[in-house]
Amino acid sequence: MAGKCPEYISNLNDYLDGGVSPELCAEIQAHLGECRNCRIMVDTLKQTVKLCRDGVEEQLPQALEEKLTGLLRKHWEKKFGRK
Amino acid sequence: MSEKELLTKAKAGDFEAFLSLVDAHKGKVYAMVRRLTQNKQDAEDIMQDTLLKAIDKIDQFRGDSSFGTWLYTIALNFARGRFAQKSQADLKPIEEYLPGLTDSGSHNHEQSALFDWRDPHKQLETEQLKKIIDEAINELPYKYREAFILRYVEELSVKEVARLTKQSDASAKSRILRARLALRDRLAKTFEDEYGRKVS
Ligand SMILES: [Zn+2]
Repeated sequence: MAGKCPEYISNLNDYLDGGVSPELCAEIQAHLGECRNCRIMVDTLKQTVKLCRDGVEEQLPQALEEKLTGLLRKHWEKKFGRK
Repeated sequence: MSEKELLTKAKAGDFEAFLSLVDAHKGKVYAMVRRLTQNKQDAEDIMQDTLLKAIDKIDQFRGDSSFGTWLYTIALNFARGRFAQKSQADLKPIEEYLPGLTDSGSHNHEQSALFDWRDPHKQLETEQLKKIIDEAINELPYKYREAFILRYVEELSVKEVARLTKQSDASAKSRILRARLALRDRLAKTFEDEYGRKVS
């Protein structure tokens, strides 16, 4: 299996980026079914992305919020004048 | 009120309308900037610069993209500027971060330990995993970290990554690939070091 893998790695990249034909996609999926190394490579990416995407929104720190409120208003009034 | 209506009001000088637009997107932009910088102070500075710049440029925003995308672009430019100035890591070739990668971009499986996510005996606590992954991402040279985050965390297309980072499509694609391989190797190495869980 290791012998065929280098050939698959470059295709795996396109596969992960969604840029392969349905035929190649099926072929790669078949390969992933039988090749543990390639499967681990794909799983690692998926897990990493999943954990990165968890809580993809983050609350601004309270102190920053407070600072920004005044700062932005001042900047706004400088641009548009006081309404 | 729709984004378009809010935008019209904001452009006419309505500060509350501007704040509503910002409120809808700032949490996501902040999260992206935090990931890119891996540093709270940098992230806060960039956030502030971004919103001030958004005020300066609001009349020029034509609404071709969504307001959120526009904010991302501004924030990204500030993050890039900051790292262009100070990141020594960017000067090192990525090969230092992934010894198994050859020039052609092909990859030698045998040189790195692999971590099998499906093995129930190797399940790590999520928080622990998150920390390991954050550290691995943080170690990437900036341009690779940026490519990875934009493509996979922000889910932009390769074309969009190229446009935002002012690269050719081919070079954006290559950065994404290299970032991914470097991360994989980095993670494999961590698992090997810390958990003695080399497989294969
Ligand atoms: Zn394989």
